[in-house]
Amino acid sequence: MNTRHLLVLATLVAGALTAVAADADETCNSPYLSRLIKGQEDVVHVWTLGVEGLGDGSDKLVTVDVNPASPRYGKVIHSVSVGGRGEAHHMGFTDDRRYLWAGGLDDSKIYVFDVGKDPAHPKLVRTIADLTAKSGYVGPHTFYALPGRVVIGALSNSKDHGGVSGLAVYNNKGEFVAKYDLPTTTIGGVKGDGYGYDIAINPAKNVLLTSSFAGWNNYMRPLGEVVKDPEAMKHFGGTLVRWNLKSFQPEQILSVPGSPLELRWALAPGQNWAITATALTSKLWLVRQDAAGHWQAREVANIGDPAKIPLPVDISITADAKGLWVNTFMDGTTHYFDLSDPEHPKETYQLHTGSQVNMLSQSWDGKRLYITSSLLSRWDKGGADNQQFLKAYRWDGHALTPAFEIDFTKERLGRPHHMKFSALPGAQVAALAAGG
Amino acid sequence: MRRLLAAVGAALLATAAAAATDPAAALAPRTEFTPPPAGSYELQRIQRVGDATLLDDRGTRRRLAALTHGKVTLLTFFYTECPDALGCPFAFGTLNLLRGRLLARPAGSPDVRFVSISLDPAHDSPAVLRGYAGPLSRDPRLEWRFLTASSVASLLPVLEDFGQDVSVETDAHGVPQRTRHHMLKLYLIDDEGTVREIYTLAFIQPEVILNDIDTLLLAARRRS
Repeated sequence: MNTRHLLVLATLVAGALTAVAADADETCNSPYLSRLIKGQEDVVHVWTLGVEGLGDGSDKLVTVDVNPASPRYGKVIHSVSVGGRGEAHHMGFTDDRRYLWAGGLDDSKIYVFDVGKDPAHPKLVRTIADLTAKSGYVGPHTFYALPGRVVIGALSNSKDHGGVSGLAVYNNKGEFVAKYDLPTTTIGGVKGDGYGYDIAINPAKNVLLTSSFAGWNNYMRPLGEVVKDPEAMKHFGGTLVRWNLKSFQPEQILSVPGSPLELRWALAPGQNWAITATALTSKLWLVRQDAAGHWQAREVANIGDPAKIPLPVDISITADAKGLWVNTFMDGTTHYFDLSDPEHPKETYQLHTGSQVNMLSQSWDGKRLYITSSLLSRWDKGGADNQQFLKAYRWDGHALTPAFEIDFTKERLGRPHHMKFSALPGAQVAALAAGG
Repeated sequence: MRRLLAAVGAALLATAAAAATDPAAALAPRTEFTPPPAGSYELQRIQRVGDATLLDDRGTRRRLAALTHGKVTLLTFFYTECPDALGCPFAFGTLNLLRGRLLARPAGSPDVRFVSISLDPAHDSPAVLRGYAGPLSRDPRLEWRFLTASSVASLLPVLEDFGQDVSVETDAHGVPQRTRHHMLKLYLIDDEGTVREIYTLAFIQPEVILNDIDTLLLAARRRS
């Protein structure tokens, strides 16, 4: 995106929204996912968009050794291509962390990788290609584990490729179970836009939250064109939906203008609040119950200077819910907010980490932070600003220190997007075997 | 039984202690909401249950399909030596709590069944299961089956079908030990053999489980 595009975007932001894509890290997994990695992660899996003419040009799952004790620290140790380009985007583990589901926003395919048997060498074991046929949805975005199932938050639909979409549920065998349309009706005085993006569940409250982005017509169109098209700019989400998790029925629609993207629940016991960032309006919004028990959403902080449209993308909450990392794509900045008082987040640190930055993932102990560069194949910047990298940093509570960097263009891999961590099996654990 | 209930109590104490230091520590589930009334929602049809031949605590061969049809079934995998207070002992304690609630109903709960399948057939023989179950497997008021397999080989397809992960702790020389690592799951199965809900630790909320059981019982009665 050039300066002219930025100015056009700035003029449109008052009423509409731009957007982004993001979500990652150890603290954003389902809180009931098994085997959270509390210590040193061994590898990072990077779901990478293929680029025509670069390497095999295919979307691929790239695995990087990130254990400082390893002789291959900071190196790509494995790569599995899926045989095509479908706009690789986000991933999610199954509840038992044995499988990693990864989606394509363009071709709507879902790839299931076995990361349990040998996390350093993931294997593609299944391709699910019936999402649109079974649900009418397009663009599988978020993969969120429920026991024995994966809930998939889609971005679009096959009728008009707009933003009205829904949630699809598959069992861990890859069989379709159910679909739930995002609401377009009025609930509690707020009209639903039907748009989808992220999913976040709080089992103790029986609450499932969804956020809202944009449909295929926008996310597969060059960003420069989208921001110049006032009609297209009307088609971004501006709501959160609170669902009854047990019944999978929407119970409340919260007005959150500016395309709220990643949703994160505070994981510490008793802290039943969630936080999100709005891409177009560059705000942090807090979702929590008021004294009467009613769920409310309200903006609690700016991210950078909203007038400059920094475009916040991925966020990552610390395990104790006292800190939040935020990447802003346009200015390539990584921000840290003190969340000790979630009603009043305060930015305490920032660092320019690249010409464009999108996803960020922190380790459970908060000491390591990983950043990737790509947003969407047609939204990434051009020319010299189209840096494509995975960067690792150490965080001492005060400053980020570079640990290693991999240039995904130089390595002929593609555009790195979503990241997930794995730990290698312990030395004294074996699979249950017939002879055992 | 007393030993198991003590383990559950220890788990709750450990939970309280851990909460102060590690937000990631496994915690006993919390229920900070009013569960939706039974019958006001529909449970997803997650997957069909396959068949297998297992052994009960008297050594009698039992078809799993016969024990996952005809009643609403709550099925879990466990092993008798499980040391994880928030693992098998916690599930056992929850099942006992649910059993008490179901038996306290005026008409009892003849349409509900519990099934506990051992993950450790090499050690959990029918005789060991019989000792573990005590009077529970012989109480006609609520059917509770304790099952094991004749071999690990015959157990593996059952685990694969349910999607139950299991690994084995070994010593430094690779020799398998008694400890199994597995993700605690309770499977709620309708009277037609379809899994309708799965409860991992965060979802083991007794009031919700009771309402889910009743939701399936209401649906079964409507069909009949």
